[in-house]
Amino acid sequence: MNVVGKIIAVHSYKGGTGKTLLSVNLAAAFAKRGKKVCLFDLDFRAPSLATLLKVEKADHWLNDYLNGTCEIDKVLMDLTDRIHNGGKLLVGLANPSTEAIRDMSAKDRKWEMRALGRLLALRNSLLDGKGIDYLIFDTSPGLQYSSINAIVSSDLVIVATTLDRSDVDGTKRMLKELYELFEKKTEIILNKVLEAPIRSGKDFQAKVKDIYQVPLLGIVPCFCDILKAEGNTIFAEEKPDHPFTRILDEMANTIEKST
Amino acid sequence: MARQETLGKKPLQILEKIRENLEKLNEKMEVMIELQKHGKKDFQPLSSEAPLDVMTLLSMPDHLRKTAMAACRLGRATADETAEQTHRARAVESAYLNQLVIMGHLKKERKGRKAYFYVDRESQG
Repeated sequence: MNVVGKIIAVHSYKGGTGKTLLSVNLAAAFAKRGKKVCLFDLDFRAPSLATLLKVEKADHWLNDYLNGTCEIDKVLMDLTDRIHNGGKLLVGLANPSTEAIRDMSAKDRKWEMRALGRLLALRNSLLDGKGIDYLIFDTSPGLQYSSINAIVSSDLVIVATTLDRSDVDGTKRMLKELYELFEKKTEIILNKVLEAPIRSGKDFQAKVKDIYQVPLLGIVPCFCDILKAEGNTIFAEEKPDHPFTRILDEMANTIEKST
Repeated sequence: MARQETLGKKPLQILEKIRENLEKLNEKMEVMIELQKHGKKDFQPLSSEAPLDVMTLLSMPDHLRKTAMAACRLGRATADETAEQTHRARAVESAYLNQLVIMGHLKKERKGRKAYFYVDRESQG
């Protein structure tokens, strides 16, 4: 049977909800399960994957692919050696230079329409063409062109949210006024949860589902170890037995089963 | 002999022309029927080039957004192919696609009997 890969957009209403942390470690969790994974940094306003993965220089960025000046093959970097005993990990990075950020924030509607076309074309070039199992988009928070382009191009939207009041309200609005309008399968990850043992109970999970009215992919407690790592490692790789890594692995398992 | 062949072809050509015109008329009627159903407020002809970007998709009425999104995914498609994606009737999709053409979001091209609808991503501007 020809199993087609899946495109996942990791999005949030507010910044700082843990999109990049979840994207990177979910990619690592899939790769460790023997999958071929591609991770793209589509947060052109605040690129962070290059720093996190300690890639100092790239010949081609995702900016170039979306500008139509190179094909996607040129952008892909093979970081499989960062994953032990796994499948494959490829990444596409956003250019972190100030000039590139300025350039990307000044694009017009016509350019954004073409960029959407190029993101949609990845289904053919990467999933069908290269047999990628999971293409993960790490996006900008809120209603940005690049994020909505990523959402429209995806099969599943994972919304990273916290218990912050404005984040809860904003996420609820986006569920109704963004993902639902595009008829996207959406799941929630509740991140940075304090008093996690109490709040991971069935009653709390039911309450979360009741608030958002979409499936809950998982609850991630607030771990000091993650803060101590200072965002410059693939945490799941560094600490394979940490509870955070196990939670991410369960999430990867849930997504895989629903494919 | 040659004269006979010419005479034989002519009625065929006329019939083909009539069929083409009937198809065009049918498409126009489908658009008009849909306009009546949804009200004219959803349908405002824009410039000949109105980019089909995500913000435009978001601001569309639900019934048109579904068709427009299928057109984005397919790139270039007939009403039949679009209907396969949206699981709606071909006539409905034909009407919505033509509506999107008039609004300037899609381009239409005829190849023989088939009409293809596409997002024009290549034109400059």
